[in-house]
Amino acid sequence: MKHASNPSSFRRWFKSGAPWVWLTAGAVAINVLMVAGLLILIAVRGLGHFWPSDVLQADYRDNTGNHLVIAGEVVEREQVPAEQLRNAGIDIAAGLESAERLLLKVGNRDVSGADFRWALTDSLTQIEYPAQLFVSERREWGNFYGYLLQINEQGKTVMQVPRSEVGNDALSAPLWEAFQRRIARARAIHDKINQIEKHEIGAINYRLERLRLQERSLELKGALDSASQAEIDAERAGYDQAYSELQARLTSLYAQFDRDSVVAETADGRRLEMSISKVVHAYQPNRMGVIEKTGFYFAKLWEFLSDEPREANTEGGVFPAIFGTVMMVLLMAIMVTPFGVVAAIYLREYAHQGLMTRLIRIAVNNLAGVPSIVYGVFGLGFFIYFLGGHIDELFFPAALPAPTFGTPGLLWASLTLALLTVPVVIVATEEGLARIPRAVREGSLALGATKAETLWKVVLPMASPAMMTGVILAVARAAGEVAPLMLVGVVKLAPSLPLDANYPFIHLDQKFMHLGFHIYDVGFQSPNVEAARPLVYATALLLVAVIAMLNLSAVAIRNRLREKYKALEH
Amino acid sequence: MELDIDAHSGHISQQFNEELEGIKSHLMAMGGVVEKQLADALTALNDGDTDLAERARRSDEQINRWEISIEEQCTRILARRQPAASDLRLIVSISRAVNDLERIGDEAARIAAHAITLAEEGEAPRGYPETRHIGTLVREMVSNALNAFARYDTDLAYRVAKADEQIDAEYKTAMRTLVTYMMEDPRSISRILNVIWVLRSLERIGDHARNIAQHLIYMVKGINVSHSSLQQIEKTLQI
Amino acid sequence: MDLATSMNTASMKTTSMNTTSVNTKANARGVSLNALPAESRTLNLEDETLTLAVKELNLFYGDKQALHGINMRIPKNRVTAFIGPSGCGKSTLLRCFNRMNDLVDQCHIDGQILLEDNNIYERAVDVADLRRRVGMVFQKPNPFPKSIYENVAYGLRIQGIKKKRVLDETVEWALRSAALWDEVKDRLHESALGMSGGQQQRLVIARTVAVQPEVLLLDEPASALDPISTLKIEELIHELKKNFTIVIVTHNMQQAARVSDYTAFMYMGELIEFGATDTLFTTPKKKQTEDYITGRYG
Repeated sequence: MKHASNPSSFRRWFKSGAPWVWLTAGAVAINVLMVAGLLILIAVRGLGHFWPSDVLQADYRDNTGNHLVIAGEVVEREQVPAEQLRNAGIDIAAGLESAERLLLKVGNRDVSGADFRWALTDSLTQIEYPAQLFVSERREWGNFYGYLLQINEQGKTVMQVPRSEVGNDALSAPLWEAFQRRIARARAIHDKINQIEKHEIGAINYRLERLRLQERSLELKGALDSASQAEIDAERAGYDQAYSELQARLTSLYAQFDRDSVVAETADGRRLEMSISKVVHAYQPNRMGVIEKTGFYFAKLWEFLSDEPREANTEGGVFPAIFGTVMMVLLMAIMVTPFGVVAAIYLREYAHQGLMTRLIRIAVNNLAGVPSIVYGVFGLGFFIYFLGGHIDELFFPAALPAPTFGTPGLLWASLTLALLTVPVVIVATEEGLARIPRAVREGSLALGATKAETLWKVVLPMASPAMMTGVILAVARAAGEVAPLMLVGVVKLAPSLPLDANYPFIHLDQKFMHLGFHIYDVGFQSPNVEAARPLVYATALLLVAVIAMLNLSAVAIRNRLREKYKALEH
Repeated sequence: MELDIDAHSGHISQQFNEELEGIKSHLMAMGGVVEKQLADALTALNDGDTDLAERARRSDEQINRWEISIEEQCTRILARRQPAASDLRLIVSISRAVNDLERIGDEAARIAAHAITLAEEGEAPRGYPETRHIGTLVREMVSNALNAFARYDTDLAYRVAKADEQIDAEYKTAMRTLVTYMMEDPRSISRILNVIWVLRSLERIGDHARNIAQHLIYMVKGINVSHSSLQQIEKTLQI
Repeated sequence: MDLATSMNTASMKTTSMNTTSVNTKANARGVSLNALPAESRTLNLEDETLTLAVKELNLFYGDKQALHGINMRIPKNRVTAFIGPSGCGKSTLLRCFNRMNDLVDQCHIDGQILLEDNNIYERAVDVADLRRRVGMVFQKPNPFPKSIYENVAYGLRIQGIKKKRVLDETVEWALRSAALWDEVKDRLHESALGMSGGQQQRLVIARTVAVQPEVLLLDEPASALDPISTLKIEELIHELKKNFTIVIVTHNMQQAARVSDYTAFMYMGELIEFGATDTLFTTPKKKQTEDYITGRYG
């Protein structure tokens, strides 16, 4: 009796539809979990990087029994099976199943050769967090960890504290403050140098190049007479004059820049003199409170977003990559939208709906499934070598043999991605056009409007939300695409932004940086993979954020349009 | 177009069919009551049967109830079904025919009342043969009018209309005869007057029967022949 | 015999009675003493001025013939209703009058439709111009996603009228004609999509009226509306026939009976019966008509 009732109650439960609810809800739950997990992982790994963690100093006993004082930040902790360690020849107390191992970021690559060091917790004794221990971010050789001893100005010592008195705040605090002041001064000079080198000299170089091209094109046309030659020479002389003036200013700035240096000692007692011009920040994390650390954290975060990269992209910021990504995507959207919309209008509104249009539709849909690298190859072969080559021959003969558009650049990257995403826009727009009630078109036609008038005044405005949907999808796809870009315009490090103050302001022929490629470059091509890993996460998070921003703004526009043209769905 | 007997039973709405069928059978039932009343009244008159006359007189109430009931059904159908074409004409015709039937009932009741008066006065008056003759004709007319309605028989309806002319003629002849009687024997004046009233009622019943026939023609042909001559009606029917 | 003639003379006077009935109504009891009121007379197609004439019209969708040899005359300033079961071709015929069927692939037409004696299927005819002269209102209210004002002004703007004064006046006139002005005059620049269904349909009528067509085609204009809105539309049709010739397709026979002067019954692509509404709804000549309007098995 009981046996008979059980399967029937199961059957009843099955028939009630409840399993389907559970199944479908479960699928959604798994999705949400995966997305949330992904975001949390990259957020934690990426954002944690900017936190100034305490620096530990300890007595370290290595395998051979030598003692050594080391200082560094704990980056990672992990449990290692004792067996594995024993096999590696490390002496582990018998009976232990596993041992804890720390990854310390010890810096001082110029002194000790490696930034990171694994250390068993057991081998560290006398662990302390000395307040005077400072961290210095440098323009080369990575971080420095150590104690400040003296400040030199043009080789002469102006302030110093003996090593034994470093712990005495009364003596070392003024030294630290003087150090900070001099860093600030050096940074101010650095900014000036940067301004001159990047912008002023850059502008003059740019003008000189344009002048050269002008001269060359006159020469090619055979119109270079003595008058214009004299004019060009005069102008060039003017630029040369300005250039040498700037050069002189630079020289004096560099002299001032290199004025100061500091002498510091590492934890294991090695002394080092370093120029303050190489120091970006210096801070004493063990002395900082939570509030100070938070302030420092946001400053670092801002630096990440707004600065240019340093040290083979492993330090500094990613601003050029953000800028390049956004600009490339916007350009792509500007190109793909009209093209896709026009194509969709023809397909849906004008073309005879027959076998041919069916075939074209199938082709368009399949185009969306072609691997993106294939587009990259196509872009390289067709856009850059063929189109770009011909454009250079026709419009920029003066620059030859150096290519202008015949080389990977922003324009071609955008165009390639536009080609990659145009099926999405076409499909979405067609869908939108198809969804517009026939009654509305007929209403317009019945008032004496022609088909074109109907299309412009009624149909297209109503289809605009669908077009925006297409653009959103296109943007989402394009912003995340990396593979084809490597062939058609993205570089590891671009010398300048594609948008600047030099005429014609937008430089479509320039190469640019991209967040996606930046991730790849930092994660796999960096000389210092360990140091760069947090940056990979941070950049990934940023890429997601940038795409989300682009998408959200497009969604906002679409929703506004949708509200305005909400179809007659009642 | 010609209507046949099943014309009102082919609706998609079975309920509507039943309603129309119901109202038609009610009309026939009412017609039966009226026919019986008329027959009773005439028999009572001829036989001097006051009981029968009384019964005939009282059945008028029943006829009035029938009339109200059928009128209500017509109104209901008009409101709920919004009938068109032949359905509409059916309802309108029935509504009118019910009216005419009720009037026939009234006149029959009047005849019954006169029959009572005449019976109470004893001695059969002269002029009975005329009433008997016209009464028979009128009964046949009423019966034919109802039969025509039941069968959508326009020819029969036409015969009813034609019979009415005959009755009118007979009525005139009878009136002349009765006036002569009254002049010959002034004592019989009051009784003969009763007979005249009866004849007059019979003549009116004939008119109502003709009306019913005309409603039927309107229903079947869709042409209003209310004030048309016999020739016009005949012409209409030939279309 | 004289019955028929009297009916004829009565309908002969109908047209003139329309104008004089206002005067006779001035009578104290509101009843004309010397003649029957115009409304009580039967209309006769022979006495009407014609706007549209259909001659031997056949319409094919590909190989399928949808209309078979239609001959028909649509009288001016009257409401002509097309009734018939679904798929009988009444909407198709209606859409022939402003060549809406041109939009349908593989739709082929032979025969003639004369609008004021000119064949609208002539090659030289400008379809947009034809549609300005023959306006159309559809089953579902289809306002454009624009403001109320812009909806009504749409047809005018298409014609290139830009003067604000002309636009303002015409919009107001059209909205008044559609009995909508009082309801919307304070929110002319709000979206038309915020209106109720009935208002939207009247807006669409106003929009069509604004370009002052000669003929108004209404394709089941009230089928998506509630009864009260339907009545308003019907009242509007009654008002509009003073200025326009109206052709209405409706599924609702009672509606055809209420609003139209003439009714055409179509069945399987053929015009079965066409005549004055009063006659058609009381004494149809054809059995198919009878069966359809009384709701019998087809």
